[in-house]
Amino acid sequence: MDVKISKQFILLTSILLFVSCFDGTDFDQTNEVVLTPEIELDLIYFNLEASNFYDYANNTEVLVVEDTTDLDFLGGSDINDIIKGADFYFEFTNTIARGFNVSFDFLNNDNVSKYLMQTTVSPGSENTPVVSYFVQSLDALQIKELTKANKVLVTVTIPSSSQDLSGVLNLQSKTTYYLQIE
Amino acid sequence: MKNFLFIYLAFGLSVVVCQNKQLLYNWEVTPQTLMLNPGSHVSSQFHAGIPLASQFHFNAGSSGVSVFDVFADDGVDINAKISNTISKLSSRDFFTVNQQLDVLNFGWLSKGMEPVYFSGGMYQELDVIAYFPKDIAVLAWEGNREYIGKAYDFNDVSARADLLTVYHFGVNKQVSKKLTAGVRLKLYSSLISVSSTRNKGAFKTSIREGSANVYEHTITDLDVEVKTSGFISLDALEQSQVSKKLLGRALLGGNLGIGLDAGMTYQFDNQLSLTASVLDLGAIFHTNDTELYKAKGDYTLDGIELIFPELVNGEPAIPYYDNLEDDIAREIPVDTLNTGYTQLRPTKINAGLHYDFGRFVGDKGGCNCKNSGTKQKRVSQAGVQYFSIFRPRGLQFAGTLYYTRRFGKTLSIKTTYTLDSYSAKNVGAGLFLNLGGVNLFLAADNLLQMSNLAKANSVSLQVGLNYILN
Repeated sequence: MDVKISKQFILLTSILLFVSCFDGTDFDQTNEVVLTPEIELDLIYFNLEASNFYDYANNTEVLVVEDTTDLDFLGGSDINDIIKGADFYFEFTNTIARGFNVSFDFLNNDNVSKYLMQTTVSPGSENTPVVSYFVQSLDALQIKELTKANKVLVTVTIPSSSQDLSGVLNLQSKTTYYLQIE
Repeated sequence: MKNFLFIYLAFGLSVVVCQNKQLLYNWEVTPQTLMLNPGSHVSSQFHAGIPLASQFHFNAGSSGVSVFDVFADDGVDINAKISNTISKLSSRDFFTVNQQLDVLNFGWLSKGMEPVYFSGGMYQELDVIAYFPKDIAVLAWEGNREYIGKAYDFNDVSARADLLTVYHFGVNKQVSKKLTAGVRLKLYSSLISVSSTRNKGAFKTSIREGSANVYEHTITDLDVEVKTSGFISLDALEQSQVSKKLLGRALLGGNLGIGLDAGMTYQFDNQLSLTASVLDLGAIFHTNDTELYKAKGDYTLDGIELIFPELVNGEPAIPYYDNLEDDIAREIPVDTLNTGYTQLRPTKINAGLHYDFGRFVGDKGGCNCKNSGTKQKRVSQAGVQYFSIFRPRGLQFAGTLYYTRRFGKTLSIKTTYTLDSYSAKNVGAGLFLNLGGVNLFLAADNLLQMSNLAKANSVSLQVGLNYILN
């Protein structure tokens, strides 16, 4: 009796099972899913006073100032695999009556340069700040190099200086990261 | 039997539904009707579910999207379809999976001065609900570039998953000529539980006049939490040990909880009756093997400010990046706790108004009144049913119109039309066979989509095998 009933039961339910299906679908498409988020993130900023370019104690010009910061997130292997491009955007607002050369040198742990960006900043005045922009877009190959670095050395060079020099060099910057997660 | 169950599991996993069992509610299927309303009419003297086959139930559903929307083989790039789906769904849309397997189910009529029907048993349940985390999905899928000024809300993250076993024992009694009432006590043993349901806070990238850098990235009023129970002790175990451990928890070795079902049937006259029940009014007390992760705070990120210090030879550079990480960790600490917590079970409410009509079924040619003293059954019954369940974001409702037709003692068919969060075209049907005391039932939902389940937002399936002595 039990066996007979089980058979009937399986037959009945199987009818339901087999008349239903997943028509017109292709689950292999999962392999083609790619996330391509574009992330906007602040990078560095500074306000360099004109006084930074003069050594008042020794009455001498300081023509080069530099600072460095780690950017650990760049060097990680996770980001390396998924970052496919980046736009670096730098905006300088200058009220110092001098132009500047500014370089951003991306270094690895051994302080070896992996990628160098350089730009110039136009002179301004205290009453009329001058804004200079610098955008560097990196393709997949260039970003591969840059992501071997994990810190950036920022060097600001002034052609000449004096103790009367006044004003501020302001930098604001951001990066757009183009990610591709498969 | 193993293969048999496997077929249904495989089938179940490929379809979609919620916890509404509109087809079994107030139907002939004694053990399951009693599980849905402990105060339902019982006309049998004894029932025993075939172990592991007494009832298998699978429900899965998504309120705003079907498998077809994303996986249709239509030549359209799947990424474009996912983008469309993300923009179509809201944070009130959800995905659910509910599966139950009756391990044991039995009941008997105690014939004393006051006849009472006792029933008990044990079942295993898996219950998962995840609301669509719209804002987080947009952020992950597209990034913040096109959404400067938009606040991404962490409140969108709300999900819960429970695997548990339930031991239950209930009594059912005809209180008066018109009223039958019943209660069921439940003991829950949680195997695994994960939830993250009360999150708040927002992330925003904005451009603000006078801010230090190009953008201001802010995390405001963040308060997020993930609770887990039953996971950490499984981490270091081998596969075979995991199964052993879970089996131990299934046998009342897990975090325990207690709950109550209650229900009633009120017979207005020979034809009209009202039923109502509340199920799983209770909680699980997670005291062992818990791990909770909490993050709370506010933070504003402007990037890294360089101050070009004058360094004397050998003086280390300022660790800007480490300082930034320390700042974030201080302002938004992430705590891992092992404290216990209590979790309410998702309580369900059922109600129905039922009307019997047509000629009488020859149930032994007379009154079927062993326990309930109820009326003789008629061939047709129609009515309305209501179902609701308490979910993390409030109640989910369903309304059902149904018609039941009995063909002698052997066969009963129930058809339903249900309106719920998933769809407005859900037609279901159930088949109940009584062959010499052995009862089989099969019930399925969303029959209109049965020819292509991929297009269905939800489907449910219940099958079962019981022995009932009338």
